[in-house]
Amino acid sequence: MAADIFLTILTVVFALMVVFSKKTVVSAFALLMTLLSLAMIFFQLGTVFLSAVQVLINAGAIAILFVFVMMLINLEQFPNNREKSKVKLVISTFTMLVVLGVFALVINNNIETLSVVNLTDNSMKALFDKLFNAYFLPFEMATVLLLAAIVACIVITTHEKHENEEELQILKTEEKL
Amino acid sequence: MSIYYYLAAFLFCLGLLGTIFKKDLISMLLCLELMMGGVALLFILFSKSTGFLDAQLMVIFTMIISACEVAIGLSLIIALYRKKQTIYTDDIKIITE
Repeated sequence: MAADIFLTILTVVFALMVVFSKKTVVSAFALLMTLLSLAMIFFQLGTVFLSAVQVLINAGAIAILFVFVMMLINLEQFPNNREKSKVKLVISTFTMLVVLGVFALVINNNIETLSVVNLTDNSMKALFDKLFNAYFLPFEMATVLLLAAIVACIVITTHEKHENEEELQILKTEEKL
Repeated sequence: MSIYYYLAAFLFCLGLLGTIFKKDLISMLLCLELMMGGVALLFILFSKSTGFLDAQLMVIFTMIISACEVAIGLSLIIALYRKKQTIYTDDIKIITE
């Protein structure tokens, strides 16, 4: 129980840092720590494989990807004194409280049934047996989705470059003339 | 274990707040990732309480989809930055222009 509370507090603190820190780099670091503490929670709940995947993919790849993009964009050139709209803050806080209230109501009403731990075969063998038999088609579709995402990323990020090159060539020919 | 249900709900709602409230696109994507974390935790908790392994498989699919979302989102941000030299939502009025 003590470990539960400790991990919960750790996750909540880092999650609050993600949303409320002024610098985006600090937000990215806090997201990394949130994902790592979530991985610790997964480990504590007994889902060891998902914990490892969380560390490898979410914390190791995605959070680092954010930092790479921040390095590409050079955030320091943007002034940090944009006016904060009060209306937006009020609306977002209200939305958060409403959704949290609904969640809390549902969880409170079903907490007896939800807290029961059913012992299942938690091994990776059982997990992958299910993944490659019952969920084979969704799994293949996920691979196609990943491939489509790769192609989309390449197309989106290189399209502009070609236009620039064409413009540069036109400029060069004009200079020669 | 029951405290984790509240944690998952809190993470989802905090991510929602950040997505609405933040001004730059990278922070909004970070908050979306926070929401995805809350959803993954909720799936694992459901798998624990109902005894179905299917919910754990859903976590794998959630991670795949969030990876795709982040990759495409970040590449869109880079493309937008090349075109408009900004990442703030106030400065982007592509539809109304």
